[in-house]
Amino acid sequence: MDFFSFGKIIVYIDKFIKFINSIFFLVLIIGLSFALIISPIDYLQGDTVRIMYVHVPSAWIGLSIFSMMAIGTLLNFVFKIKNLYLFVKSLAPIGLLFTCLSIVTGSLWGKPTWGTWWAWDARLTSMLILMLFYVFFIIAFKIFKESENLPKILSAISILGIVNIPIIKYSVEWWSTLHQPASIKILGSSSIHSSMLVPLFLMLLVLLLYCALIFLMKYKTEIIKIKKQNIKRL
Amino acid sequence: MINEFLNMGGYGFYVWTSFLIVIAFCFLLYYKTKKTLQKYEREFAQELEKLPMKHRRKIARSSKVISSILASQNKLN
Repeated sequence: MDFFSFGKIIVYIDKFIKFINSIFFLVLIIGLSFALIISPIDYLQGDTVRIMYVHVPSAWIGLSIFSMMAIGTLLNFVFKIKNLYLFVKSLAPIGLLFTCLSIVTGSLWGKPTWGTWWAWDARLTSMLILMLFYVFFIIAFKIFKESENLPKILSAISILGIVNIPIIKYSVEWWSTLHQPASIKILGSSSIHSSMLVPLFLMLLVLLLYCALIFLMKYKTEIIKIKKQNIKRL
Repeated sequence: MINEFLNMGGYGFYVWTSFLIVIAFCFLLYYKTKKTLQKYEREFAQELEKLPMKHRRKIARSSKVISSILASQNKLN
């Protein structure tokens, strides 16, 4: 358990922050060069396909973070691990940001390709619902921060919200939607050319590094808040 | 050449707005997070200042969290 002590964690946080800061701009420049210059245009969509390099990673991150938060919240509810509470609290704003960014960039991609900024289509609506769950999470942290019922409230939001994750994933297959089906599959072959896959994964790496940086800074802030409350006992 | 690049085949507005929104909001969250972290580090260091010197040295040596905060503060000052 000593590995999970705040003292050990903060040493690793400082090292990781330093590491990310040292490579971030290089990875960002490479990612943007591939996304905006090197990658080819799509034969149908033209240059609008470049929006994919920010839209798709944002959506993946929004979905993954909510799944991690839901698992963290439920584990915290069962095992009462303080670190998990800080983990979830630090992740929530990052997940909300990327869910909003995926909706906004999706809208900017939708206008030239579908002819509309927004449609109440299954994928778009379920993403909007995900955004609302993030907002509920953050509001619950603010309103019930002193309450003993906070773990129960967060678990309830998680259980309701996690049901939405498979709906988002399979909405394009279950319903007839404006949104195209998935081009990239974890199991099975992807229907996207490697000249577009490389920039997509480079931009995913850039955004993941950014997420890690923000998460570590927020986590460190939470540790300091706890230590500050206990300073008299030191 | 540059005009062609900026024009993005007539879709420049959509492509550039998407990338700029992502960069702007990511920077905004980074800036806000960094400011909040620095604020708490500063406040914590100020609280430590109030402790007697001997006690402060002792806990700075024994707590990695405190030595990390003090190191960040020394870099800022």
